[in-house]
Amino acid sequence: MRGMSRMSDLPPHPEAIPATNEPLRIAVRRLRWFKQAFQRHVEAYGRDLGCAFEVDEAKLAAVFVRWLEAIERQKPADKSQRRAFFEFAAALMLRELVTDMPVKAAGPATRAKPDSAAAFWPEGYCCTMFCVSVHSAAMAQEFHAQTEIDPAIDDLRHWWSFRENARQDASFSAGFLQMILGHQPNWLFPDVFRARLEQETR
Amino acid sequence: MAIEGLPKPAADIAGAVLREVSGIARNVDDFASGLAKTVLGADEPPAVTLDNLAAGQAAEAEFGAAVYVALRSVLRRLGAPGVFVSEAAARRAYVAGGAADPATLTVNLLEARVVRGTTAAEAARVPGSALEPVAIFAVLLWLQSTRSEDENEDALDAATDLAVALAAEVDRACAARDTARITALYARYVAHV
Repeated sequence: MRGMSRMSDLPPHPEAIPATNEPLRIAVRRLRWFKQAFQRHVEAYGRDLGCAFEVDEAKLAAVFVRWLEAIERQKPADKSQRRAFFEFAAALMLRELVTDMPVKAAGPATRAKPDSAAAFWPEGYCCTMFCVSVHSAAMAQEFHAQTEIDPAIDDLRHWWSFRENARQDASFSAGFLQMILGHQPNWLFPDVFRARLEQETR
Repeated sequence: MAIEGLPKPAADIAGAVLREVSGIARNVDDFASGLAKTVLGADEPPAVTLDNLAAGQAAEAEFGAAVYVALRSVLRRLGAPGVFVSEAAARRAYVAGGAADPATLTVNLLEARVVRGTTAAEAARVPGSALEPVAIFAVLLWLQSTRSEDENEDALDAATDLAVALAAEVDRACAARDTARITALYARYVAHV
């Protein structure tokens, strides 16, 4: 993989992962934990970026329900694909968040660098970082694996493409997240797990 | 004849009588709620589960009080704090049979009209104007969920948000009194509260 950076190179917010006695893979599928985690990330990134975010809880719950349904539909029976699907689940989450966008910036990101993704699209940045952060914490707990991030995350052209394409087709969001997690998505079917597996075994 | 159809003075008298009767009924129910809450020792929704309630000595009273307090909280969250909740109706629903089955309890609570007097504006706060079934589904989903004392209120909020997100399905299943479908919805979402 080309020049991957570790998750720890990005603004870390470990405090935004709520404490739980359950494994994160279970906790994240409870709406009460999920809401708390999302709210904490939004607050943390709001502080970093110098802008307040408002969360629409009804939209967030709808996002959560659609994500559960998407996972249920695509979950592989083959246990050897568990780790790959674990990662794919984060991509499905970003797809659902971008579809309904349950967070809204109250103003510009005054503390973000002008040419950064966060300044360009604060809501998209916040949702992406939430997915990466929860995914990273769960991967560390479940597989003792450190998440590495593709340098594409710092390239504004990718974010521009992400936002424009996701407006037409939210499934593009799933491909974007896979890309910044260092995978080559199947851009024809970026939100189809089997298509991603076939792409990687070619 | 509806009150609107009566001559004006008669309508005023009839309206006053109805308001008084309604007020007495409400006060009696609030009194019962006060007693139950004193017994339970809390104004917040209790962290008990449906199974715990069923195993208790005074299951019917505890169920009525828990449903009353929880429904009030759910309706506040849904922006309809003025909607009337009948604790007596909740107790009747519990003893009507099938108390071990959450789907039957759901139907019983709807039949007993534990939530009543909802205006169109209040109902419209939930997709499909399904305020009553959604609120009852939320409470029964919450009562079945595993949660600690600390998580209790967050769990009730989460159950409410889930019920709203599932409003169309919940309303269809409840309107048809389809207990199999209601059971399937509980089974599918109780682990996700």
